[in-house]
Amino acid sequence: MSTEPSTGQVLLQAQGLSVRHGARAVVHEVSLELRAGEIVALLGPNGAGKSSLLDALAGALEPAGGRVERRGRISLALQAPDLARRTVLANVVLGLAWWGVPRPQRRERATAALRAIGADHLAGRAATTLSGGERRRVHLARAIAVDPDILMLDEPFAGLDAEVRASLLEDVLSALRSDDRATLVVVHDRAEAWALADRLLILIDGRLVADGTPRELLERPPSPGVARFLGYDGCIRDGQTHTLLTRPPHVILDPAGRHEATVTRATPTEDGFRLELTVPTGRLYTVAPLPAPVVGDTVRWRVEGGARFPAAQTGPLDEFAMLRT
Amino acid sequence: MHELWELLRDAVPMITHGNPHLMSIVWFTVQVAAIATGLATVIGLPIGLAIALGHFRGRRTLQILANASLGLPPVLVGLFLFFVFAGQGPLGSLRLPVTRRAVFVAQTVLALPYVVAFTAAAIQGLPPGLLAQARALGAGRVQLAALALREARIGVLAGIIAALGTALSEVGAVVIVGGNVYGYDQTLASAALYEANAAHYADTVAIGLVLAGLILVLMGGVSLLQQQGGGIRMRFRSAA
Repeated sequence: MSTEPSTGQVLLQAQGLSVRHGARAVVHEVSLELRAGEIVALLGPNGAGKSSLLDALAGALEPAGGRVERRGRISLALQAPDLARRTVLANVVLGLAWWGVPRPQRRERATAALRAIGADHLAGRAATTLSGGERRRVHLARAIAVDPDILMLDEPFAGLDAEVRASLLEDVLSALRSDDRATLVVVHDRAEAWALADRLLILIDGRLVADGTPRELLERPPSPGVARFLGYDGCIRDGQTHTLLTRPPHVILDPAGRHEATVTRATPTEDGFRLELTVPTGRLYTVAPLPAPVVGDTVRWRVEGGARFPAAQTGPLDEFAMLRT
Repeated sequence: MHELWELLRDAVPMITHGNPHLMSIVWFTVQVAAIATGLATVIGLPIGLAIALGHFRGRRTLQILANASLGLPPVLVGLFLFFVFAGQGPLGSLRLPVTRRAVFVAQTVLALPYVVAFTAAAIQGLPPGLLAQARALGAGRVQLAALALREARIGVLAGIIAALGTALSEVGAVVIVGGNVYGYDQTLASAALYEANAAHYADTVAIGLVLAGLILVLMGGVSLLQQQGGGIRMRFRSAA
């Protein structure tokens, strides 16, 4: 993951892009650009309009307003990894045929794409015999094989278990990286965005509410809504005028800490216990290694980091879950 | 039972000795089945594809018509064609009634809805992402059609099998439009009807046995192709 913004040529520019499904507006006046050499993740909750925005950017969906300028050809890999009832190699070759690649080059390019994504061992297998993870791999190879100027992937890791997803992410990353190509990946899971993206776009309720590097957004979320979406689930009053939002790593249990809290919930996780700490001015969350405090215990804590917002933006603490962007 | 046995005893030699009249009917029936099914396939596949993949006004109406035509009584089709091609009809100048060409036309019209309806349904049943992905990667119309037909081949072949069955054995339209003229434009099915009406039961049984055998051989052959994983290779433009 690069922390420097790409300075490559702008390959796609959208201005005031809006999308409607019938009478319902699903994307509201989104402006963005994609540059050569960068991998951008489009992140948002279910129903935020991510796929509609992707389709409109790719030209697969007529926008209701705004305009998109594209320099070069776009390869769009849809969310469903549906393959033809042929061998894996034939599926990738078929994609190259649709793209217009001359016949003599197809086989070699298909083989290279499968190798790049760690699926060359599947080349001779019938597509109908593949597992979910293998289908996703071939689906991605088909989109990458055409070597587009702009590559768009709609939730390429959807429906995979954690182990398969981690392995695919690792293989995909190097295959996606190219100095000449702009890549936009719609992801649902934040971990996928951290692993892949140079830049993050966050779409909530059809509006682009954040655009920055993962580090920037994680350290300085631009609004309470973005903070909450990025895992800032702790919320306490910070003085009379501000609210402090925290992620679990910001809250440290420390016997020498200045503040006290009561453990009001303890949920087992892979890394120990996720604790809900209730303090007089709000509620915090942290992850404690075993042996962890239990419900009812009083603990001492301190905070390192977090994001401060004027209380007027966050509203009453109890309503944090309903924060606006 | 005794009577049936006697009929079989008289009928079998007609087949084994290659009765010339019977053989000419067999040959004409095979020609009708092959040409009617072929024409229905050539005309029906593009219509089925258009219904499944196209976006035009009247697409749904066309599909409803194709599906409804599956239940149309052949006698009605025959009557309709007779009036269309009769001397005073809109296509009367073609002088089609009571000719062999009329039999080909009647069986083609009857077989066509099977190819159209089955093709459209089979393609509509494909995973939606498959064709959408092909479009997204720039597939043209011919490439999309080739992909759709190849992927939906089992359903498409089921339509062709049904069309072949209709062309082989439907008798209502053939009798009305073709006239069922002895020794001229009889198919096995219409000849069986003719001989039964004339109380020539041994001939009826002989014709019936040959028709059943022919159906078994032709339709069984196409069914075998369908069941072989790959089916018939519909390669309009092979990519690999």
